[in-house]
Amino acid sequence: MTGHHAEDVLARSARGDAAAFEQIVREHQGMVFSLAYHFCGDPSAAEELAQDVFFQLYRNLRAIKSPAHLTFWLRKVTAHRSIDRARRRRHDLLLGPPLSLEDVPEPMAPMPLPEVALAGKVRRLVQALPAKRRMVVVLRYQEELELHEIAEIMEMPINTVKSCLERSLAILRAKLTRCFGDVHA
Amino acid sequence: MNPLDNELKSAFRRVEPPPDFAKRVLSCIQATEQKPGWRQALVSRLASRFKLARSRRLRWVTACALACLIAVAAVQYRRYERRKVEGEMARAQVMLALRIASDKLNVALKSVERVDRGQPPERARRKSSRRMEHL
Repeated sequence: MTGHHAEDVLARSARGDAAAFEQIVREHQGMVFSLAYHFCGDPSAAEELAQDVFFQLYRNLRAIKSPAHLTFWLRKVTAHRSIDRARRRRHDLLLGPPLSLEDVPEPMAPMPLPEVALAGKVRRLVQALPAKRRMVVVLRYQEELELHEIAEIMEMPINTVKSCLERSLAILRAKLTRCFGDVHA
Repeated sequence: MNPLDNELKSAFRRVEPPPDFAKRVLSCIQATEQKPGWRQALVSRLASRFKLARSRRLRWVTACALACLIAVAAVQYRRYERRKVEGEMARAQVMLALRIASDKLNVALKSVERVDRGQPPERARRKSSRRMEHL
């Protein structure tokens, strides 16, 4: 979608054009759904969350100034809603202490795995991270955002984002090394 | 770029939602756009209030508001009681004043009647009788 066309679609949807809004949903659904899915790991929960985000967007369309602002807004709302949901869910289920990376089971001996299984393992390891750190990793590797962009979305200082990411990567690297040997680490 | 970055990028590739996702979002929005009737709105509002009341913070707020309400009601009740007593006292005073005024009027009426009949008024009669006693 070109810049001018995107602005036109945004303006039309702000005026209540359902077709224009549908176009916006279609364009951004992959990003919103993936962020939610990679964060919570459950497709139905991710779909519900993405629906909520688009519903909130529909109500706040007048506040969106540009297509770039729209992307930023969607990322930010999805990130914060996902983190809120994770916290609520933990509170509701009374899970007690959060699951740590050490609690995730791992194979006793290094063994070669196909690519799909490796990706699944990586996702599971990221799932075990605390909510904010998990979202930082997802934003960094799904959306390929720079640290300052992540800091803006997460409303965190850039140094905190940097240390969060470094710590998470160090833990992931250590875990993967233990699982698969030095090949992937 | 190190191998871990590549692994993470491939693990977190974008995933598309189900094909009818956009349609469902729109139908959900349309469903909520349609305004409910006043009864339904009232019921849903009450239900949402009830749900809200379940949250711990709101319970505290409700308890505080209730305590304030009880305190205000107690103060108002005491003020009402005091006013009631003051009113009773004022009523008794008015009744006393009316009784005195009525007695005075009776005395005046009797004097007027005596004058009409050609007799001296009560006070003049008393004075003349006192003079007679002196003599």
